[in-house]
Amino acid sequence: MTDRPTKTTADMQKLGKHFTRFLLGIAIILAILELFLHRHGVASIEDSFMFPAIFGFLAFMFIVQVGKWLRLMIMRPEDYYEGGASDD
Amino acid sequence: MTSLPPGLLMIIAAALLPFVPHVARQIVMLGAIALSAYGLVLGAGTHLVWDVLGFELVLYRADSLSFPFAVIFHIAAALNVIYSWHDKHWSQHCAALSYAGAAIAALHAGDLITLFIWWEATAVTSVFLILAAGTSTARRAAMRYLIFQVLSGVLLLAGAAIYAAKTGSVAFTSMTLGDTASWLIFIAFGIKAAFPLLNGWLQDAYPEATVTGTVALSAFTTKLAIYALARGFAGTEYLIWIGAAMTALPVFFAVIENDLRRVLAFSLNNQLGFMVVAVGIGSELALNGAVAHAFVHIIYKALLFMSMGAVLHQVGTIKASELGGLYKNMPFTMICCVIGAMSISAFPLFSGFVAKSLTMTALGDTGIMWAYFVLLFASAGVLEHSGIKIPYFAFFAHDRGFKTTEAPLNMRVAMGIAAFLCVAIGVFPAPLYNILPYAVDYHPYDASHVTGQMQLLIFAMLAFVVLIRMRLYPPEIPSVVLNSDWFYRRLAPQIGRPLLRAVMMVWGSFLCQMRGFVEAFWFVIDKLVRSPAAGPTIPGPAALVQLILLLAVLSIGYVAAIG
Repeated sequence: MTDRPTKTTADMQKLGKHFTRFLLGIAIILAILELFLHRHGVASIEDSFMFPAIFGFLAFMFIVQVGKWLRLMIMRPEDYYEGGASDD
Repeated sequence: MTSLPPGLLMIIAAALLPFVPHVARQIVMLGAIALSAYGLVLGAGTHLVWDVLGFELVLYRADSLSFPFAVIFHIAAALNVIYSWHDKHWSQHCAALSYAGAAIAALHAGDLITLFIWWEATAVTSVFLILAAGTSTARRAAMRYLIFQVLSGVLLLAGAAIYAAKTGSVAFTSMTLGDTASWLIFIAFGIKAAFPLLNGWLQDAYPEATVTGTVALSAFTTKLAIYALARGFAGTEYLIWIGAAMTALPVFFAVIENDLRRVLAFSLNNQLGFMVVAVGIGSELALNGAVAHAFVHIIYKALLFMSMGAVLHQVGTIKASELGGLYKNMPFTMICCVIGAMSISAFPLFSGFVAKSLTMTALGDTGIMWAYFVLLFASAGVLEHSGIKIPYFAFFAHDRGFKTTEAPLNMRVAMGIAAFLCVAIGVFPAPLYNILPYAVDYHPYDASHVTGQMQLLIFAMLAFVVLIRMRLYPPEIPSVVLNSDWFYRRLAPQIGRPLLRAVMMVWGSFLCQMRGFVEAFWFVIDKLVRSPAAGPTIPGPAALVQLILLLAVLSIGYVAAIG
């Protein structure tokens, strides 16, 4: 192996840091905008402060967490179907 | 020629493809698609009717609902021709062009029988795109796919037959769910639209098709079903429940799936859910939403499948557990993939935003808030699996040290056009809004809507960053995820085989018993007829046959005499 993978990994880490800062920057701008803009939604709860942000953050966490539990229930080895040839 | 049903020319051209050399073949295909699209200039109306056995078969009916679907189907067919330009063999081109042609012809079917014929034609033509992969896994998946597709067609035909017997007409118009015919047709549409528990074929078969085949498959069958639902069952409330389930459930499957093309298949299912909900609402705004969503979805989903196909083509695998770090090797593909990902996630200025907004607003107008929040939740789910997982695990995540280059030029051109359309429609939605079934007075870019959507997406992305940085995001591992196809691939054989064995055992012992009875019967007869009265020269069975015949003749004689 050459040193390229190491360099790519380092580059990706650098990229990740820049991307995180970029996201945080937009998040801060959105939070500031929320103070000045009268954002209105379909349901009254949507009008509460940063509702879509909180909803999006929690929904994402929930999906990944449920995914972890689901792995135990419906994840099988790659040869699950081929092994038994039961789908012939 | 323009009075021919659009799509038919493509099927005729597909039949000629084996005799046309490579390159010229691609030009013939693009020409056939252009000519077929030219047929749309006839505009709304009934253009070709055929009277058969007292039924009026409407072979070419165009209206404001079929038109946007026809436009996007032609665009998707052309994109696929460009994307598969490098493939020198005729077989897949033939299948893809005839498949697209059949789907376009189906859009213009004005009656259920014509619809059935093209409905089945899409099944029979598209299965070759899966078979072309050439693996035993693909072959088995193709057969399961075909069974489901044909089953859908058979149900549609059965429903049409009952409907015709009842009403004396086979016209394909709006129906009310209630009688057997409407339910059969509804389920037929539901199979192709990948309703919950009827969706196994989609995630099972699409990822097994060839690199180019999956792109073609992603465009037509399911969106044809959405069109059929919009035509036949707009405003059916069940569809809101079904659609909401379709948006939410695949999210959890996609998050743990390792095969990135299968992740996209789950994502496709989730997107269909938004359209099904919109059809279920049935208002003008909602139907516009369903059609607009189908339109933009075909482009960004094809783009995502194209980018993953390009990765598979260059690297030889599409498993998240084996991929990563390709952003330097395939930067153009990565950018196109990210554009597709941002479109499907409905970022403002991308096509998904201008379409999904219509459905969400229409749903809000109905006041069905539980469904509204399910779809809002599913929007975060879309971001997770299609917006982040696909580009992240393919192009970033871990460096796997791949030494590869960009995809072939034709693939990049196709991806470039699709990416351009995603942005163009997002920035200038007016041309799309102008071809929707109903007049649109809708402006997606109001400050409230844009900031709300940005908050949802940016903070969901921050959740991903937090999980990655805290090493809480679960690693991708080689595996299969059980889906509804498990019922017939594993459960049915496991229960069915012992059951079948038991039934066969009982049947075998019954036959054995019967054989004993038969032997005993003939033994008694033999004893009787071999008695001295029968005479030594006449064989026993012959005497018996004569006896039966004589009795029959006598009986007939008596009956005749009495009559």
